[in-house]
Amino acid sequence: MEAFQTYLEFSRVAFRRKAAYRFDVFTQVLANILFLFMWLFIWLGLYQGQNQVVGVSFRTMPSYVLVSQMLQNLHSAGTPLWEIQEQVRTGNIAVEMIRPYHYPTRLLFSDLGSIFFYFLTAVLPLYLVLMFVFQPLRPESLLTWLTFFLSALLGYLIRHNLELTFGLFTFWLIETGGVEDIFYFSVSLFSGSLVPLWFFPAWLGKLARLLPFQGIYFIPNSIFIGDLKGPAALASLFLQLGWVILTRLLLSFVWKQATKKIVIQGG
Amino acid sequence: MFRLLARSIRLYLSMVAFSIRAQLEYRYAFVMNILGWAMNYAGTAVTMWVLLYSFQAIQGWTYWELLFLFALSVLSWGLCIIFFFHFRSLDQYILNGTFDRFLVRPIHPFLHFMASKFDVGAFGHLLFSIIAFILAYHKLALSWTLLRWLIFFAALLGGVLIQGGILIFISALAFWTTRSESFYWVIMFPAANLLNYPLSIYPKGFQWFITFILPYAFINYLPALFLLGKADPTYSAVLGLFSLPVGMVFFTICLSLWLKGLNHYQSTGS
Repeated sequence: MEAFQTYLEFSRVAFRRKAAYRFDVFTQVLANILFLFMWLFIWLGLYQGQNQVVGVSFRTMPSYVLVSQMLQNLHSAGTPLWEIQEQVRTGNIAVEMIRPYHYPTRLLFSDLGSIFFYFLTAVLPLYLVLMFVFQPLRPESLLTWLTFFLSALLGYLIRHNLELTFGLFTFWLIETGGVEDIFYFSVSLFSGSLVPLWFFPAWLGKLARLLPFQGIYFIPNSIFIGDLKGPAALASLFLQLGWVILTRLLLSFVWKQATKKIVIQGG
Repeated sequence: MFRLLARSIRLYLSMVAFSIRAQLEYRYAFVMNILGWAMNYAGTAVTMWVLLYSFQAIQGWTYWELLFLFALSVLSWGLCIIFFFHFRSLDQYILNGTFDRFLVRPIHPFLHFMASKFDVGAFGHLLFSIIAFILAYHKLALSWTLLRWLIFFAALLGGVLIQGGILIFISALAFWTTRSESFYWVIMFPAANLLNYPLSIYPKGFQWFITFILPYAFINYLPALFLLGKADPTYSAVLGLFSLPVGMVFFTICLSLWLKGLNHYQSTGS
């Protein structure tokens, strides 16, 4: 319990630090609105008046884009991969290692603090307005809302674990170009963040469902638009939970190996 | 006048050569920087393919036509960043006071600042876009006459000037507001992404803005209409022939704004 209190303090600090850079939040929101509209028009152009394509009705797409962009927006408030790589490369991470906490957990709490700030000041007001104006498909019952929130949180945990694990690979690589590209490509394609898995070629869809990335956006998005409900939604939550545990174990393992493998490059 | 220009160009080239040699010191980073960009764009191209898999076309544009559109914009952007990409971070130079050193050398500050950086990542853009272009050219079974190739290269040059113009414009804002990098992320980064798809999917007002105010449509959409022989419900494909003149005019306007800002500039005194 005491440990939890300590970690929570990091969330509070991160929250306050974000508040000091409000202009950045503003520019980010502006860029995100542009991307939101871009994807709405792309789907409009793809459907071109058809009601249904491969069994997916057009009405679900604006809602899917909205919720997907909202989650991506929130995730962007966390520590990005390049910053972790930079920490390792500059050796600043050594300072984190001698401190009396578990670095991956500390980082998670900091990021949750940043995300919470971003949620309150930017995402919540913006998307309340959008939901009010566009009236997209959205959860109708309180239970669905709660399921969605839980699923979104699990999705973020998967992403966080993977992002940090990829970032820690820097310990072995020294030069990290390429790792970033693989990570961002996987997160953007296999997670269904832009193109839902329904539209994938069959073989690629099968592959995507075997990977952890679908838990980041595709599952919470599908719950939000009402495509996943009842027992299927529950099963998906357990699948996400399984990925959270697995990726967390992987992260802990990589972190442990990393602490043993410190290369001091010059001074 | 002519000798001054020749001397400036010689100076520019030798400064670029130094910059490349400096980056070649770190050979692995040099290669990965280039491959990284190419992979990044390849990722977007794959995502587009998946996007179109179930639909076959977006507003009448098939995958290979879309790839042509994409390749054209990346190609001109790649050429553009060789010269102008670092203009977006002029605010950093001004805030750190490092911009002042560009003012005291016996070479024009604009040219000196332009030559001060050369990002090898540009080769990654070129690598991807040339491969994508060849693929699209082949798959669409195009066979251009010399005139068409000339139109293509004129459009390419026009695209470089338009995007360079916008970067210089964004950079000029730093003289007055001491901010420029964040304008890049708000204006240019999303705009470049928007134009990876045919302009006709967007609302009319936006199409008009992107054609006549911020002439992004002249970089890839309008030339692609002409070169691929496609039709747009609003704009004539003939407009695609005007990329170069539009680029020249737009670039001149942005450059004069930058020079005006330079006169207005007072060091932050740090």
